[in-house]
Amino acid sequence: MTERPPFKSAGLLKKLMSRYYAKGKAAREKGIPIAWVTAVFPVEVLYAAGIFPYYPENFGTLAAARKVAAKLSANAEARGYYFDLCGYARCGLGDAYAADHPAGVIGRPDLLFCCNTQCGSLPKWFETAGRFYNAPFFLLDSPMIETTPTTLGKEYFIDQLKEMIDFLEIRTGQPFDSDRLAEVMALSGEACRLWNEILDMAALRPAPLGFFDACFHMAPILTWRGTKEAVAYYKNLKEELELRLVRKIYAVPNERYKIYWDHSPVWPRLRWFADYFAAKGALVAASQYTHSWAWSFDTTRPLESLAENYTEAFVNRGFEKRVQMKIAFMKKYGMDGFVFFSNRSCKNNSFGLYDKRKAISSKTGLPGVVIEGDMSDLRFFAEEQVKARLDVLFEQLGQRGK
Amino acid sequence: MPVNGDVGRILQLIEKTLEDPIGYIRRQKSERRVKIVGWLLTDVPEELIHAAGALPFGITGGSESFSQADAHLQSWACSLARSCLELGLQGKLSFLDGLIIPHTCDTTRNLGGIWKHARPLPLMESYLIPRQVDRPSAKSYLTGELGRLKAKLEQCTRTGITVKRLHDSIALYNRNRTLIRKLFRRHVDDPETLNNRAVYNIIKSSMIMPKEDHNNLLRELDAALGIYKKAGTTKGYIKIALSGKVWEPREIMNMLDGIKAVVVADDLATGHRYINGDVRESGDPIEALAHRQITRMPFACYGSAQFERRRFLTDMVRESGAAGLVFIHLKFCEPENFDYPDMKSACQSTGIPTIKIETEMGNMSLGQIETRLQAFLEVLRGGADNDGTASL
Repeated sequence: MTERPPFKSAGLLKKLMSRYYAKGKAAREKGIPIAWVTAVFPVEVLYAAGIFPYYPENFGTLAAARKVAAKLSANAEARGYYFDLCGYARCGLGDAYAADHPAGVIGRPDLLFCCNTQCGSLPKWFETAGRFYNAPFFLLDSPMIETTPTTLGKEYFIDQLKEMIDFLEIRTGQPFDSDRLAEVMALSGEACRLWNEILDMAALRPAPLGFFDACFHMAPILTWRGTKEAVAYYKNLKEELELRLVRKIYAVPNERYKIYWDHSPVWPRLRWFADYFAAKGALVAASQYTHSWAWSFDTTRPLESLAENYTEAFVNRGFEKRVQMKIAFMKKYGMDGFVFFSNRSCKNNSFGLYDKRKAISSKTGLPGVVIEGDMSDLRFFAEEQVKARLDVLFEQLGQRGK
Repeated sequence: MPVNGDVGRILQLIEKTLEDPIGYIRRQKSERRVKIVGWLLTDVPEELIHAAGALPFGITGGSESFSQADAHLQSWACSLARSCLELGLQGKLSFLDGLIIPHTCDTTRNLGGIWKHARPLPLMESYLIPRQVDRPSAKSYLTGELGRLKAKLEQCTRTGITVKRLHDSIALYNRNRTLIRKLFRRHVDDPETLNNRAVYNIIKSSMIMPKEDHNNLLRELDAALGIYKKAGTTKGYIKIALSGKVWEPREIMNMLDGIKAVVVADDLATGHRYINGDVRESGDPIEALAHRQITRMPFACYGSAQFERRRFLTDMVRESGAAGLVFIHLKFCEPENFDYPDMKSACQSTGIPTIKIETEMGNMSLGQIETRLQAFLEVLRGGADNDGTASL
């Protein structure tokens, strides 16, 4: 990859993430409950209850990016966990059992909160971890929205948010602060707005950032969402990107193609993919994955608004809606082709991709390929096969005379 | 086997039905001119289908070879889902008027979309069960979800599901569960007459045959079995329990019969999960169906504080008097694979020997399974090694 000047925000990100871990440590010392939380979970409610949120999935990505997933996983596999379970879960469970911690020590929860819109692996992981750490587990259950959102599903979620607030009041011994919830939701919404404005800059031709950059810069929208820090970070990043546009610093040199990616990256091979696409003059411009946080809250009716935003997200939608949403992304960003990542660690985002590829190609005329692999475990990654698939995509793009 | 003619004839009839369930149900359709609504494992409320005037048809696995499914569903999806989809793709289920897929895991959650896209049927619905059952919200949601399903079925069959109709269906299904449970007790006490394969065939055939016919057949069987002398009939048998989703490949039951292991308890979807717990026959029938679902025995697809699965399993083994527990796990079943290590250690710490058999629908090496089961039985019979650390 031709070297671009590094993002100044990268330094900020590093500091911000150190602060995040320091805050977690301080919380532990002060006796503030630490809760495991899933990535797409209404964490706003937890902040309002004065709980410190910890994201084990972030631990999973970290372990994967540091290429130690197989090593950590071995500890879980030695205890009978099947090698085919979600890679993040194997890293998390593996680290809990491990003597050495190549990705840092996974945080110990006092409580565990999971929303199952993302998948069925997370609740099983959290449930298992709840037994390991002897900590209570709370599941926010959201049945899939097959076509259009239903009142039934929404009311079920709202009922559960109320149950969760009761649960938190009992656990913290404090009355729930609704004003604080509105405040946190406003901050969360503001960070989401900025984050999505940033992601949308990938639609520019040429663009100052793409999906692989977004994978790097998404850590605060995950871990700091709902705080002033996240807002400040994305304001700063947006300004930096605007400046880069003025200075004509682009994500890939000589951008010729824009490629849509679905869903998560192959963390331990992020660089390999970035280099491959850059060499082809292709920008992997967007993936639904990094758009997971696109909330637009109405703080005058907080619980309804949380329910709508969190249950209606793409991860919780049926086949046809997901196809429509992907096509909308491709149009919005002016994509020339797409890559679907059939990820062994993520059945929920992988099953259906074969048919979706065909459906989308026939509806849009865009070429697309499915690659096989795993987001964290390189045992399931065959570089030659993946490269051959990607080459086919670029042959097709070449034939289209672009 | 010292069984009288009638018993043998009935068991044979059941066996034959299971050899070709699709052929059987298609004959039912043409003879009775009835709509057929298929369902996949597990927990689909058949009473609603029945009350809508359709014949429910349980698809408990299908094709043993995968020629078309692999183009639509990754080969690392469980073979149960793949084999069912394969049947659909091959057009073998085109006679269905409807299909209901329960969302119990990520595979079933995505299967409906794929299936509908590749090979649509007139009615294709998901059964969106709540994945938490400990809080009051689950039951009110589920009542609504059952109401939704009811409306869809009514549209499909153009028959209103009245309270009376649903109560009648519930009573019919309760009778069926009661009859099967009675026969299961007979099996436990008298495995010579009603062996593992026979009794589990009875459960599985209940998912295929019209309940009215099945009830008649079971009453006939019960009468033919007559009274038995309890003493002596279980001599030489070792009691075991099973845990998992399905008893496939079905030869497993014959192997257990062959080595004189009598299955006395299980938590299988094609076992006690199907026959345990009746539906209340008074009051609001939809609420009664919801209640049965919420209070069902635990399984891998969601956790429950109220019915803690590890405690449930160890209690199940102890109360049934089983000497050991065999996990029959479908390869790539993620929920089961998450549960396995803790289930195993819960058994170990309570002194229950276990073995895990990994299975797949279709081409499996049966010899390997048999060898492992034999070895496990030897451990159980050995007694001295039977201290719970003998897990294979």
